[in-house]
Amino acid sequence: MKKWKIEGKEFDSRLMIGSALYPSPEIMEKSIKASGAEIVTVALRRQSANAPQCGNQFWDIIKELDVTVLPNTAGCHTAKEAITTAMMAREVFETDWIKLEVIGNQYNLQPDPFALLEATKVLIDDGFRVLPYMTDDLVLAQRLADIGCTTLMPWGSPIGSGRGLMNPYNLKVIRRQFPNLNLIVDAGIGKPSDAVEAMELGFDGVLLNSAVALAQEPVIMGEAFKHAVYAGRLSYEAGVMQKRDMASPSTPTVGTPFWHQFS
Amino acid sequence: MIISVNGEIKEFKGEHISIKELLEEMSYSKGIAVALNETFVLKTKYKETIIKDGDRLDILSPVQGG
Repeated sequence: MKKWKIEGKEFDSRLMIGSALYPSPEIMEKSIKASGAEIVTVALRRQSANAPQCGNQFWDIIKELDVTVLPNTAGCHTAKEAITTAMMAREVFETDWIKLEVIGNQYNLQPDPFALLEATKVLIDDGFRVLPYMTDDLVLAQRLADIGCTTLMPWGSPIGSGRGLMNPYNLKVIRRQFPNLNLIVDAGIGKPSDAVEAMELGFDGVLLNSAVALAQEPVIMGEAFKHAVYAGRLSYEAGVMQKRDMASPSTPTVGTPFWHQFS
Repeated sequence: MIISVNGEIKEFKGEHISIKELLEEMSYSKGIAVALNETFVLKTKYKETIIKDGDRLDILSPVQGG
């Protein structure tokens, strides 16, 4: 399969994976490797003032994987918090990529479209490459594209819910309206067939975490998603046949023995 | 003087201390970013940025994220 390009870099895999919620750092490492993902999301948090070095072990593992890191602003509830966190992430991870996440509702962790737009503008002006985690709202997509986003990441369903694509129609419309942007389904993917569905809609990639980390066998599930994303993309490129109302035999009927002509 | 470091109350000698001095005193080294009173401080400004009594310092490090 051809390489694809996102935010100025080329990749083979169209799967982006999170580094959280795995049963152990070892399983995280093996799962990421098995998934073939080349972009891995990470975060920043306070460490206890009494244990200032305890974040280093995790970061050492990620660095050894030789992947592109995508820091997030998870847990931020205002544009100001998200902007500050993005700036801190740029310094620690030495990247201008940011998965911009501004939560607007604590019940379903729905992104706040207004704060997202505000923070995106400030960060793009400051030289960031913003990958906004957003709802599947067409007008919001337009506003984000207008201020310079070249990647949009609408949700499939709420973070960690595993409910798959709640509203394929909205995703399909966003794909149609923005044929030249990179579109990633971020959040809500529960099983490999959800990833296939997203890719068959023509999305450029999927970003997931819980679906692998919370599987009974995360390493095997990582590999399952690798194949699902690959198959979904090939399917999109190949073009799916049109559905038909009537059955149509796939085996030739000419020359069928014992043929009866019905009148 | 009393400073909040990552939400924990810490007492330091003197009336002010630079971010650089505080990080050294608390054994923080690489792989961190700092915000003073919720405003990001560039690494290059640690030496000249002075923390005062009652200030709030957040020191963030890499963790797992989705």
